[in-house]
Amino acid sequence: MACNSIVIAREVWDTRDLLPGVVSGNALNEGALSKRFEPEDLNALEMALQIKDKQGGKVTVLSVGAVRDVDVLREALFRGVDEVVRVVPPTNELDTAGQAALLAAAIRKLGTFDLVLVGVSVPEGENSLLGAEVAARLGVDQITYVDSLVELGADSALCKREIEMGSEFIRAKLPAVLVMGVYLLTDDPRTPRSAKAMLKLKMKKAPIPEWTAAELGVELSGAKIVVAGFEAIPRRQIDTKDVDPESGAALKAMLDEVL
Amino acid sequence: MADILVYIEHDADGITDLSLQCLAKARQLAGCCGGKTVGAAVLGADAEKVAAEVIARGADVAFAVEDAALADYLPKPYAAALAQLLEQQPARLLILPASTVGNDVGPLLAGRLDAGCVVDCSDIACDGTVCTFKRLDFDAQAYTLYRNAGGGLAIVTCKDGIAEAAAAGAGGGEAVSVTVAIGAEEQSTTLDRREVARKTVNLKDAKVIIGGGAGVGNAANFQLLEQLASKLNAEIGATRAAVDAGWVSHERQIGQTGVTVRPDLYIAVGISGAVQHVVGIRDAKQIIAINNDPSAPIYKMAHYKIVGDLNSVVPKLVDLLS
Ligand SMILES: Cc1cc2nc3c(=O)[nH]c(=O)nc-3n(C[C@H](O)[C@H](O)[C@H](O)COP(=O)(O)OP(=O)(O)OC[C@H]3O[C@@H](n4cnc5c(N)ncnc54)[C@H](O)[C@@H]3O)c2cc1C
Ligand SMILES: Nc1ncnc2c1ncn2[C@@H]1O[C@H](COP(=O)(O)O)[C@@H](O)[C@H]1O
Repeated sequence: MACNSIVIAREVWDTRDLLPGVVSGNALNEGALSKRFEPEDLNALEMALQIKDKQGGKVTVLSVGAVRDVDVLREALFRGVDEVVRVVPPTNELDTAGQAALLAAAIRKLGTFDLVLVGVSVPEGENSLLGAEVAARLGVDQITYVDSLVELGADSALCKREIEMGSEFIRAKLPAVLVMGVYLLTDDPRTPRSAKAMLKLKMKKAPIPEWTAAELGVELSGAKIVVAGFEAIPRRQIDTKDVDPESGAALKAMLDEVL
Repeated sequence: MADILVYIEHDADGITDLSLQCLAKARQLAGCCGGKTVGAAVLGADAEKVAAEVIARGADVAFAVEDAALADYLPKPYAAALAQLLEQQPARLLILPASTVGNDVGPLLAGRLDAGCVVDCSDIACDGTVCTFKRLDFDAQAYTLYRNAGGGLAIVTCKDGIAEAAAAGAGGGEAVSVTVAIGAEEQSTTLDRREVARKTVNLKDAKVIIGGGAGVGNAANFQLLEQLASKLNAEIGATRAAVDAGWVSHERQIGQTGVTVRPDLYIAVGISGAVQHVVGIRDAKQIIAINNDPSAPIYKMAHYKIVGDLNSVVPKLVDLLS
């Protein structure tokens, strides 16, 4: 059963292991931040490619907005997707609702699809509501916090969903939006593949089609949620003490201090 | 009608603590942002019973919505029910717990109603007229401050620690039953099965917690941690890696999809320090980390850094405490 997937890919701030000074005053010090391919979107892309490898079909990748440092669409081409489209927003002040409206219109324009795949994202600085906002606009089923796809049938997808005290198995009718929250194990078969050297050469200059909001017939009514600013959190001063595990005295001193 | 509506998540163990925290936060906000009354939305089986409890926790009005289509939580019928409730009982602000339910149905509802939505808020501040939704971002260096510029309904989900849950009191509010109609098209997603652990341990109130990660290596090796725990009168916690491996029960998972803990002492054993785990232990007063990788990210937040093999370090600690 061939399955046509549409993957949403985002370029996001890399919020891991940041040095102090990301926020000064009320503003973001963008120079102190780098960007990366949203890791959960990469997991979503991998799922789409694995479905295609196994049962055929087409993988299309969508992204909203101009490239800053990482061209997620070209990265997707380097990994073997069939088609990419950049959606050009009318303004850079786009909230998630605006992004979702553009994406839903682009997905409709692409025509029929079986799955839309996107990442749920980690907390702290990355957005976890896009998938559901797109599902709402398409009026299709959604499963969020998807750990894995258990079974993909002709008209439904059964997914394992990670929840607070365990997991649940949810069946969505196709077409559906799956929002990935994959936790990768060592040697995990779900690990995203890397770019292929051959495709890098071949796709380096491949044209990337752009669709504007006007072409998609989307009129955005202005952002509902706006970023009003940033507030630096004073760093918790932690004087990390090195404790030599070979020294009983050092371990004892540590225990005396903490207990 | 209620100005602020709080979504109450409940299960066999009753109302979730985070839902009660959200309710307490709504109480704090009542009077600001132009609204005064706090309503609670209770959906699903036992909604009427739970609604009565919610009144005792400070809601002015609790809307109980029972329907066969709401027997199990699923995003579409729950979004449909909430949309109908909001139509009957308009609100300016809908607060949901930032759980895998709140973060699932909240954005879906926002998309349907074209409302503004912010997830994972750590705080909501109000200056008397406008609410600012604060989300912890950028490796916990800053809050991003969001505002609802649209003026319509805002839907926000709040994280553990948003407010202290109120104790049950007399409560002067009323419980109201609300009827909704959920069509077949809203019932296309189905629950095959749910595998959840019942809570029998209380990590939230534990003073000392020993957290084990993938580095512990196997289930038998958790014995080492238990020996240490018995010396310290501590509880055992774990990362998702250790839980998924089946070494520890799910109720002991700490982090984004587990519990948030605030012990006086947290001993991280064989834990790398992934952000999804670290969000659950950030408020520990003291952290000891034992890891054989000197560059493990967990050390960034550790007060005591022990670089070594847990198989030898942990027994040494046990000996010292004997
Ligand atoms: C949507 C989502 C939700 C998640 N929710 C959670 C959550 O709630 N809680 C959670 O914990 N994770 C969660 N995760 C997973 C998280 O991303 C990490 O993968 C996980 O926390 C890693 O666990 P770990 O530190 O035990 O394992 P690893 O990252 O594998 O680290 C093991 C550590 O043990 C050390 N080690 C190995 N052998 C020894 C030894 N002999 N002695 C000493 N040290 C040793 C290694 O150096 C390493 O640092 C979630 C992921 C996703 C995508
Ligand atoms: N990973 C991210 N997390 C949170 N906000 C982001 C992220 N990436 C971009 N943004 C926001 O998107 C807006 C536009 O970003 P930029 O185009 O980089 O100026 C800014 O308000 C950023 O705060």
